[in-house]
Amino acid sequence: MNARPVLSHMLPVLGTGIALAAVPLFVRESGYVLRIATFLLMLATYAVGFNLLFGHTRQLFLCIGVLAGTGAYGSVLLVRNAGLNPVAAIAVAVAIATGLGAFLSYVGVRRGFGVLFVGIVTLAVSLIFQNLVLGLRKYTNGETGIVTQGLGVGLAENPVQAYYILLAVLVAALAVYQEIMGSRHGLALHALSDDEVSAELSGIDVARYKVGVAALAAGFISLVGALFADWNGFISPSLFSVGHVDIPVLIVLLLGGMRTLLGPVVGAIVFTIVDAIVRPFGQLTVLAYGVLLVALFLVFREGTVTLLQRGWEMVQSSTQRGQVGRGVAADEDGDPLSQRTNSRAKSPY
Amino acid sequence: MSPQSEEILLRCCEVTKRFGGLVVLWEVNLEVRRGSLIGLIGPNGAGKTTLLNVISGLLQPDSGRVEFLGRLINGLPAHAVVRLGIGRVLQIPRLFPHLTVEENVLVGVLFGRRKPPAREEAQEEARKFLTLVGLEGKHRERVGKLNTQEKRLVDLARALATEPRMLLVDELMSGLSLVEMERYTTLLRRIREQLGVAILWVEHVMEAILGTVDEVVVLDHGAVIAQGSPAEIAQDPLVIEAYLGTGAREVLGAHMGYAGSS
Repeated sequence: MNARPVLSHMLPVLGTGIALAAVPLFVRESGYVLRIATFLLMLATYAVGFNLLFGHTRQLFLCIGVLAGTGAYGSVLLVRNAGLNPVAAIAVAVAIATGLGAFLSYVGVRRGFGVLFVGIVTLAVSLIFQNLVLGLRKYTNGETGIVTQGLGVGLAENPVQAYYILLAVLVAALAVYQEIMGSRHGLALHALSDDEVSAELSGIDVARYKVGVAALAAGFISLVGALFADWNGFISPSLFSVGHVDIPVLIVLLLGGMRTLLGPVVGAIVFTIVDAIVRPFGQLTVLAYGVLLVALFLVFREGTVTLLQRGWEMVQSSTQRGQVGRGVAADEDGDPLSQRTNSRAKSPY
Repeated sequence: MSPQSEEILLRCCEVTKRFGGLVVLWEVNLEVRRGSLIGLIGPNGAGKTTLLNVISGLLQPDSGRVEFLGRLINGLPAHAVVRLGIGRVLQIPRLFPHLTVEENVLVGVLFGRRKPPAREEAQEEARKFLTLVGLEGKHRERVGKLNTQEKRLVDLARALATEPRMLLVDELMSGLSLVEMERYTTLLRRIREQLGVAILWVEHVMEAILGTVDEVVVLDHGAVIAQGSPAEIAQDPLVIEAYLGTGAREVLGAHMGYAGSS
């Protein structure tokens, strides 16, 4: 373990961070493009959380919007109605959402829900959340929403700073993801997403992993939700509906590649470009999303990152075949665990 | 035999399990001593697999006690039972298809023990068990590429990698030729001798079991109807009539001769 360069598995995370950090330098004069880029970061972070939930622990949480909305409404209401300072309010809201995520996961684990049943129950939670926000009109203004100016840390007034703060959150989420996947816990997550019974019979505490992952994902998602509320200057329940958050996040993850480090980022970029193209069609975008989602599930379940990786592996193996002797010798030395490079780090630890 | 080898590992006391109104296990009593090899036989639907599921913590009994090394284990989740030292091999192997053969076994090494070894050592351990079951040289393949027999062996290696004191084996022989059966029988004997693991072996194929095990337990309709040495079981009229049916006497007769001469 001591021979391993400590940060080598973090290189893709750093590279992504640096590449995305350059974006504001090119679009400084265009507030619109920066806005879209900032939104992309948030979408990617949601997708990192969803990747942990759905990709690695088979928990189809269709309440990403609820978790984000809990962060958003929680932080705003705590400042406006309870007089907390914005940073403390965000921390409390994130803690609440983390607890909610863990609770939903725990219920699913305890009751032995399958993938689809978790999906149905969390979808119901999304509907409840919408009604709750509408019903608590006294606090939330219902569908009218809340203007959040002056209630947050001031991201709306300073878009470039907001971009970098959200980039920091995304990079942190990616780093945490990569660190987990490179540890023995990563092996456990790969195993339990393949077969929970076998994982359990191999000594893995499946329930603890699922609940832990749900808490972690909910934490990141709600943090982004709270920052979104501040950055956007306005929140309303429909901004956290299934159609506005969960469906895009699902598309992003499938498009980019489940169970991969960079799938959420690549997916968010592709999705943002597609979204910009179809946006002029108004309501038809929903139709476009629907068709896209069906198509993705049917023919493209592996995602862009996995596809690119396959291509790369094929190129590599064909060049290796060209120089058999050396190729084989190098192969023997290799750590078998480092063969897949995307989501799997260099070692089982 | 020394008193230590007589030590009781597993004790099931009056274990009862119902699925709705159906009684699947009825007051089952069973003891497994350290290092012993016990065959559990019975017709389809006798409750053999259910009993293994209850012991390994995948199902909880409705009443009765399951004790391992004197400790009550019913109520414990399956992963905790594994860490106490009960390994399980499933009838239809369920491996981790996204992982390599070695990683599948590595999961057992890293999570199935109370004190998992460090990384380098863990990998060596995984390969050691793959060699033991005869899969050396396959460690870097994806399990999807393996045939059913090889998958069973990976499952066996993974169960052994958790360092069990007792191994629950479920119908390892189904769908095998006689030559392959002989290979598995030899393998299980070797595992028992080399690792000192007790084996509770559920099997449908009588021929495979009778010449190998120390003791046979016969389950029918969820109840133990007979228990004893293979020779005793072969002579038990209840077993022959109720379970084996007519015509089985000749088969057993041949095996009694075999067991007697060895």
